[in-house]
Amino acid sequence: MDILDLLSAVLLIIGAAFFLAGTVGLLRFPDVYTRLHALTKADNLGLGFTVLGLVLQAPGVAAGFKLILVWLLALAASATLSFLIARRAFAKGITPWDPEEHEP
Amino acid sequence: MQNTLSTTRKYPIKVLVWRATLFTALWWILTEGSFLAWGVGLVSVILASVASLTLFPPGTSRLSLSGLVGFLGFFLVQSVMGGAQVAFMALRPRLDLRPAVLDIPMRLPEGRSRVLLANTLSLLPGTLITDLEGKYLRIHLLDKRIPVESGVREAEACIARMLCLTLEEL
Repeated sequence: MDILDLLSAVLLIIGAAFFLAGTVGLLRFPDVYTRLHALTKADNLGLGFTVLGLVLQAPGVAAGFKLILVWLLALAASATLSFLIARRAFAKGITPWDPEEHEP
Repeated sequence: MQNTLSTTRKYPIKVLVWRATLFTALWWILTEGSFLAWGVGLVSVILASVASLTLFPPGTSRLSLSGLVGFLGFFLVQSVMGGAQVAFMALRPRLDLRPAVLDIPMRLPEGRSRVLLANTLSLLPGTLITDLEGKYLRIHLLDKRIPVESGVREAEACIARMLCLTLEEL
């Protein structure tokens, strides 16, 4: 196992950790808005680290660029989607969760 | 600024070559360096160039290369911080969130730049854009105890520099 493989493995593990954290956030956070925070931000970083790890193992320059392109497209899609979901939720009158209402 | 605008209009061929080169590079990436499907590629590059000139006519916006580098650097650092912060908030034993909604006015002119700002902010620490109405951005905050305004202003300034726009007065 050379140094590049090792670095790639470390990056992939970091990526997986961020995906895990994003999923934990999705399950633990109280409402649609806070869950969107967890999904867009943590998963964006998870995919970023995964892509970086894979770029190190890419068979060629073009394949490496293609992976980065995948990340950029996913980034644009997730930012746009979270905005659309949040806007729709707001328009439907879903009020953001407020801790003061839930404390005794 | 006026000068560059009129040159782009006078020499659309230069714009065409520039965009066709970009699309050729994109095709090269998509086919992973193989030019076996160059027939389809040629047609795709031509169609993509025509579509881009129609949808995005030359002269409507400019891109500053140093601004682009600045924006990418800002975005990378901030999105890593945003992801790390939300991951930490999700994993700590006691869920301590203080969500709030904040309306703040934008200094960027109307158009694409505002959409880019909204999308950028959704990936930055603690902010999620829930609405774009007129001049105002409606931001959902994960924790109102953490200030976000300076981050929003910095993102605005980066986008303005990249797209060669001037910020409006508040």
